[in-house]
Amino acid sequence: MPQWIDACASTDVEPEEVIRFDHAQQTFAIFRSPDDQYFCTAGLCTHEKVHLADGLVMDYEVECPKHSGAFDYRTGEARRAPVCVNLKTFPTKVENGRIHIEI
Amino acid sequence: MDDLQFGKRNKRGDWTPTAVLEAAPLWVRPLNLGKILRWLVGYLWPWNTLYMALTLAYWYWVLPDVEVMQTVGWGWALRLYAVNAAAIFVLYGAFEYQLYVRRNQDYRFKYNGKFPADQPSDVFWFKSQNVDNFLRSFFVSIPLWTVVEVLFLWCFANGYVPWLSWSANPWYLAALLLLAPAIHEAHFFCIHRLIHTPLLYKWVHSIHHNSVNPTPWSSLSMHPVEAFLYHAVALWHLVLPSNPIVALFQLHMAGFGALNGHIGFDQVELTDGQAFESHAYAHYLHHKHFEVNYGGDQLVPLDVWFGTWHDGSPAGEARMQARFDKKRARLNPQ
Repeated sequence: MPQWIDACASTDVEPEEVIRFDHAQQTFAIFRSPDDQYFCTAGLCTHEKVHLADGLVMDYEVECPKHSGAFDYRTGEARRAPVCVNLKTFPTKVENGRIHIEI
Repeated sequence: MDDLQFGKRNKRGDWTPTAVLEAAPLWVRPLNLGKILRWLVGYLWPWNTLYMALTLAYWYWVLPDVEVMQTVGWGWALRLYAVNAAAIFVLYGAFEYQLYVRRNQDYRFKYNGKFPADQPSDVFWFKSQNVDNFLRSFFVSIPLWTVVEVLFLWCFANGYVPWLSWSANPWYLAALLLLAPAIHEAHFFCIHRLIHTPLLYKWVHSIHHNSVNPTPWSSLSMHPVEAFLYHAVALWHLVLPSNPIVALFQLHMAGFGALNGHIGFDQVELTDGQAFESHAYAHYLHHKHFEVNYGGDQLVPLDVWFGTWHDGSPAGEARMQARFDKKRARLNPQ
């Protein structure tokens, strides 16, 4: 059954940045977009399982640090080779300055 | 030099040339003689001339007598390995030292806006691309280069394959020498395409592709299977009637010539106003995008024919993206 998890403070993530969040043996990437919305995806690249939190965020894309494949972190859609398999995404909400993700 | 006169730099600091890549003008109709002559100069100078000079130096000063090569022995094999390793250390090391250690050119003409030494990564041995690439080159690839070298020299020395003489076959051997880069490109395209199949990519070629931001030491950083297949291009001269000098030139184009695609800079500055072209861009695009440019500079335009050519233009990018979209649709069923 899905549940909301308190992941971090909203100020922990800078605009156009990403942080890593680990919970229950899963790893996630939490993004803050240029227009101050928050998104959460699976934390590892679908290509070679590298942490996307180490990647470069530009606009609404995150670039994998290993091979420069890119995803749209809003939808999880793979945008640039070599990544072809989409990322799983998770709903987020902000309450009392805290980011919650539904997993 | 002002590299922004020749290209542009994006937000990330990556520089791209303005001029798009072109296949060899031999394949363009109608033929343009002026363009072919200008291309021919670049075909011979400076890189292939350097590899030929190294070949002659090996022939006269490094290779043992034919009688010695008739028997495979550790003595001359290890000597060859030592010379190959020393030559690579000097040639690759000179570019590495100037461009990546001293950073004489800073970021001018640098495709990737970062230096690998500033980017430690878990994917490399000791978290260092330089150390990882160096060790793989000297303890995996150069030994296998030497194995190929010993093998064909032993075959020629024992008369297992025809050894055509220069005096009796000057035109044929000269033509074969001129065709050696085409043989190299066709061989490289085929083995490269092979090791990009999913299973071989995972177990073999992914090691080379760990270097998304290649430097000279990345050139020969390979899995043993890839290193052998790559240098085995010289073994075509056991199939074609040939001469050991031509086979050695073929091997040197592979071993020394791997540098060309991995310099990481579009132009190498000699003085404030002078630079020479690295010919690295086509292969850099392969390291960046993976599924384009399996061959080289399209001397044999196999990438053009098979639809995998990326010339650095927006149109090339769009063609690559269209192929990618198809693959993505296949792998992400709705």
